Amino acid sequence: MDLFWQQLINGLSLGALYALIAVGYTVVYGIVQLINFAHGEIFMVGAFGAFATWVVLGSPKQLSWQAAIFGVLPAMILGGMIASVAVALLTERLAYRPLRDAPRLAPLITAIGISVFLQEFVRLFFGDIPGMPDSKRAIPFPTITGISGEAWHLGNVTIQLSSVFTIGALAICTVFLWFYVNRTKTGRAMIATSQDPSTARLMGINVDRVIMSAFAVGAALAAVAGVAHGLRYGNIDFRMGFLAGLKAFTAAVLGGIGNINGAVVGGLVLGVVESMATTFIPGQFGSPAWKDVWAFVLLILVLVFRPQGLLGSKGVDRA
Amino acid sequence: MKFLDSLSIPREKLAAFQLPAHIAGTVAALLGIASLVFPWSYSHVALDDVAYAGAPSALQFNYLGLAIFVAVLFAVPLVVRKPGKLRDAVAWNTGAKFGGIGLFVVGLVAVLAIGLETGGLVNVDPGGWIVLVAGILALVAGLVLDPSPAPSMGKFKTPRVVQILAIALGLGAVLMAAAFALSLDGAGAFLFYLVFAGVLALTLVRTGVFGWLAQCAADNKQVLVLAAFVAAFVFPFTQNGSEANMSIATQVLIFSATALGLNIVVGLVGLLDLGYIAFLGAGAFTAATLSGSVYAATNWHPPFIVTVLISGTVASILGLIIGTPTLRVSGDYLAIVTLAFGEIFRITMNNLDGTDGPRITNGSNGINNVPELSLLGFNFGAPHTLLGVEIGRFANYFWLMLVVLAVIMVVFVNLNRSRIGRGWVAIREDELAAEAMGVNTFGLKILAFAGGAFLAGLAGAVKAHHDVSVTPDQYVFLESAFLLAAVVLGGMGTVLGVLVGATILKLLPEKLRFFSDYRLLLFGLLLVFMMRFRPEGLIADERRQLEFHAEDEELAEEVEEDLINYHDHYNPDALVKEELK
Repeated sequence: MDLFWQQLINGLSLGALYALIAVGYTVVYGIVQLINFAHGEIFMVGAFGAFATWVVLGSPKQLSWQAAIFGVLPAMILGGMIASVAVALLTERLAYRPLRDAPRLAPLITAIGISVFLQEFVRLFFGDIPGMPDSKRAIPFPTITGISGEAWHLGNVTIQLSSVFTIGALAICTVFLWFYVNRTKTGRAMIATSQDPSTARLMGINVDRVIMSAFAVGAALAAVAGVAHGLRYGNIDFRMGFLAGLKAFTAAVLGGIGNINGAVVGGLVLGVVESMATTFIPGQFGSPAWKDVWAFVLLILVLVFRPQGLLGSKGVDRA
Repeated sequence: MKFLDSLSIPREKLAAFQLPAHIAGTVAALLGIASLVFPWSYSHVALDDVAYAGAPSALQFNYLGLAIFVAVLFAVPLVVRKPGKLRDAVAWNTGAKFGGIGLFVVGLVAVLAIGLETGGLVNVDPGGWIVLVAGILALVAGLVLDPSPAPSMGKFKTPRVVQILAIALGLGAVLMAAAFALSLDGAGAFLFYLVFAGVLALTLVRTGVFGWLAQCAADNKQVLVLAAFVAAFVFPFTQNGSEANMSIATQVLIFSATALGLNIVVGLVGLLDLGYIAFLGAGAFTAATLSGSVYAATNWHPPFIVTVLISGTVASILGLIIGTPTLRVSGDYLAIVTLAFGEIFRITMNNLDGTDGPRITNGSNGINNVPELSLLGFNFGAPHTLLGVEIGRFANYFWLMLVVLAVIMVVFVNLNRSRIGRGWVAIREDELAAEAMGVNTFGLKILAFAGGAFLAGLAGAVKAHHDVSVTPDQYVFLESAFLLAAVVLGGMGTVLGVLVGATILKLLPEKLRFFSDYRLLLFGLLLVFMMRFRPEGLIADERRQLEFHAEDEELAEEVEEDLINYHDHYNPDALVKEELK
């Protein structure tokens, strides 16, 4: 039974990571019906932005935990957000907006192009920024005193503090997001635009700005996820966005794409399924090498039996 | 042309300068010719050795050809002043404009290539500078010229013999050019030649000569296709047993065949498949398993014909498994699900190594030592001499792939013209309307998906033998993106476009090693720019073009006319009715 609880904790923290990224897919899809394939790379840019902030701060090591958690970590998250939001807005403005009325294939292909471009751009040029390490190989992520490597023990169950950070970040972001969507003017404009863009425009809503804020919100959460990923795995590399983005999309579909709560639930379910599969599937197919396969099999099963997702997909109005 | 107009002075003010521009352009082109008397570079390293005075290298002879052509374009309107058949047949001025730009670009590339390859512009000799000056002069002269009216050459009635001769000569020229390009070793020389060929082709198009060639081709379609295949068939003989080039050529064919299969799915039906490489991989792994290799999991070794069919079938069954659930929901899901499927395939192939799963593929080591193909007692691995030319292993596979490619092309073209193909295009243009018109959208989409997978499986079976070893890391997502880039670059929904796109994407990295590190970066950008500025691809399918440029009235009329002609062609009754009126 201990194994079950342990895997549940592992799954929830992994799922929280997926959920943070999945929100970006879902918000953008809810408003422009575009699968922003490059969102995984936005997440990667966020992680690199956080790392760069740490370098700019003078690569602080051996800090007290207070300084690390309340000084360096928020600064890194903020730096990551600035990087990811800037890149997301640029791609929206330069690549997606001109194609808004084009056949659906066009923005999708553009998204793949952006995804490949961003990966390669970071691989080739991140190391050229003064002070930054070569990014062609994985870069060790800075350790945050008080989080990295620390764990709580509850009986035989070990809880890494990086997992606590991820789950906590998801909780805070979800509350913030709920408030933003339901209680602010921009958030309500988002709901209106997702329901009917042309009527929303007639009501005086600046649809372009709403779309941009959707991209920005998704990118900001992806940056948080980027930091959480760095703390969890201890390193970042230019390829990290591909698989994580794919999983997060799976999570978004699982919960019902376009539905923010759905993305959170979908992410958590996916994470738990993945970690349970490596433990409770007997025989060779239960080995960790298969965990990605089980996640994608889940995606296909959802599409067969419940294409609208667990919570149904109706755009951000359900948020 | 629009952008040229926006950057130049108003046309009225230039009217007085037409005569001087013609003279200046002619002089510029003659200057370019004169440059061949001087060495272009001090060093022998640059381009293909352009250091000798008065002894032009092969590339310089090509430049000579272009310069003479441009000189004629500028000079003829000087001599033939009155409008007449000769004057109207060809768009002299427009051609001269593009020829002028071309001379400039080629000159610039020559000087830059010399400078980069020898480590400084110091090594550029007078000849090189003359080329650049001639280019600048020609550019200015060309920009001043008024564009000419549309050329009438495309409407000429030409005897059939002449037409066929023109086709044969044209394809012969393409074959020679391809063989010559492959024989160039230096990156600078290759780039120079590529730019030269592009500029020459563009100038020819703008003069209207291509209009006439297109007419010849349209009148003799079968001859053209046959001649193209003969040219491709002869290609190995031009390589003198160069294995490296034949290997590249065979890879280009395998890549083209796969891209053509993808083109059915993406170009005709409009379904974005991002895991297409998995179907190629499924074919390759199946064929390798059944090849009798000592690493294969089974000893059963059926004849190749059977293997090919099994490979295709396995791939298409995978297509069915992945397509049935996803094709019911919105098309956007398909892109991501196929992407996920591609990952499942790669991971699964990695895991079937005996520890994480049954031993079928040997995990990341893959299936090695796939034996050479042997068809009807003919061993593909053994080199032999044919007509005095040594034909190596890759040439054999080249010919085999040519046959496979021909089969895929026949399938593609016939499907495109059939009821099925029209159903597909209808789904692409508007799925809801198609369904309302009684098109079985789900069935047709499944057919396209499984059919495309089958074709990829065929190509994969040959690839397994050509590559000798099959490993999972050959079938990663980037390869799928690469295939998609070929389809998008060349033109979705066309055969020729995909062949062109696949050739460019496969050949360039092989020849331009220095940019191999930036390859993917540029392909990412390429996808974005193509979608933004020319979503229909280099060689556009007219109907497809119309979808992306819905406001283009002229194009709409053209497409409509074509459709009516096509309809009449296949419905003789309609013509009879017309006559009765």
